[in-house]
Amino acid sequence: MLKKIVLALVMVAMTASFAFAQKSIVIAHDATWPPMEFVDANKNIVGYSVDYCDAIAKEVGITVEHKSVAWDGIFAGLVGRKYDMISSSVSITPERQKKFDFSDPYFEVTQAVILPADASGASLADLKGKTLGGQIGTTGVFMAKRAEGVNTKEYDEIGFAVEALYTGRIDGVICDDAIAADYVLRNKKYAGKFKLAFIVKSDKPEYYGFVVKKGNKELLDLLNKGIKAVKAKGIEAELRKKWIGQ
Amino acid sequence: MSVEKKEVRIAVTDGMLIPSGKDKNVITAWSISLIFAICSIIYLCVKNPDPYLDILKFLPDGIMVTFQVTISAILLTIPIGLATGMGRLSENRIINLVASTYVEIIRGIPLLVQLFFIYYAIGEFVQLPDLTAAIIAMSVCYGAYMGEVFRAGIDAVDSGQAEAARSLGFNKTETMFMVILPQAWRTILPPVGNEFIALLKDSSLVSILAVSELLRRGREYASVTFNYFECYLMVALIYLVITLLLSKAVSIMENKLNYYDD
Repeated sequence: MLKKIVLALVMVAMTASFAFAQKSIVIAHDATWPPMEFVDANKNIVGYSVDYCDAIAKEVGITVEHKSVAWDGIFAGLVGRKYDMISSSVSITPERQKKFDFSDPYFEVTQAVILPADASGASLADLKGKTLGGQIGTTGVFMAKRAEGVNTKEYDEIGFAVEALYTGRIDGVICDDAIAADYVLRNKKYAGKFKLAFIVKSDKPEYYGFVVKKGNKELLDLLNKGIKAVKAKGIEAELRKKWIGQ
Repeated sequence: MSVEKKEVRIAVTDGMLIPSGKDKNVITAWSISLIFAICSIIYLCVKNPDPYLDILKFLPDGIMVTFQVTISAILLTIPIGLATGMGRLSENRIINLVASTYVEIIRGIPLLVQLFFIYYAIGEFVQLPDLTAAIIAMSVCYGAYMGEVFRAGIDAVDSGQAEAARSLGFNKTETMFMVILPQAWRTILPPVGNEFIALLKDSSLVSILAVSELLRRGREYASVTFNYFECYLMVALIYLVITLLLSKAVSIMENKLNYYDD
């Protein structure tokens, strides 16, 4: 009897999850990246990218489910089919493109360096012998590693790096400009303590794209169609105003 | 010393299954595991140098940091554990309470939370270098566990020993350091060795503080190359080789100490 009940439950669970998976696209965010994606006071995942995904979903008529995932391992989870796509401010890089497929770009970024308000430095070359913190596996950290004479420290979350700067463990933080601006300008705790020292000059522009498993053309086409619509209808401009303030 | 007492030894700890020195077989769980781990590493590196050999070359400084954290922490842990263990057995109510409360609090908080607490929470007031913060957190945590080991070890020495020493005119301190502790070492050292292994394994938690130990180095490598499977497989095998070698060392030490027992 017990076996039958368990079997029935398993069957129900399997069909339910199957039906669910067909309808809804699960999106992974590392929700520690304000204002792009973060957890608000009500424990919801919110932010520019989250709204952007919702807008795309509305345009192309799919339902999406947002899932909070740690950055370190977010790509491994996609490979392991734990979710269908990543929208976590992932910059499109050739290395990543080798392993995953990217949607069309939806946001342009540059790498910015945060320094204490009283520190000087206008380029990575000025920071020789100093330690820059960032989030593990992000383009900012890759850039700092390439810079000659700059030490890097890779934290699990960008917030940890900013806190480490606040407590004087490191000399600066490198991350995407929108995030850097948010910490410097909007964060009450750090107000007046930091400055957005400089944008790292790069010969190649850097863009965020949504990431899907290699070969998932169906979802990719859907996303690109959605991105086009969101841009054309002026929704993107609205979102920029709402979350980034420009 | 004629009282026959069956030795109670509970060997389930968070350290390792210490191989028994009396087992003269060549094929044991220990040797199978070690040969499996080493052969796997060699096979992978020879068969697929890219990425396995690359990973192996990337990790050694991480291994050094892992050892640095572990050895520094264990050296700090022994005096903390000794003080706590003696404190827990003290007849002075205040000392006893202080030691017991320390053990109670520390054992009630996960090590990961303690690491966050010392690094980020206390970091708002006192800035410690990363490695120091990591070592202090590990020592404070393991000091409490070690305290229990010392307490049990001291407790296990027959009370007649203390009585005899006292009646011969030793004072309390002399009794403890000249009579009780030298005998307690034999009981204490093997579990201390085991705690050492447990500490080495738990040092992987320090990666959360951006200290570049073995696991962190692996994560850094994986974050660039996306070779998650290969990278963490290598990290796991290296940890396994290290802990297996350490467990053998503990076993040898244990045998030396128990030489006259049989």
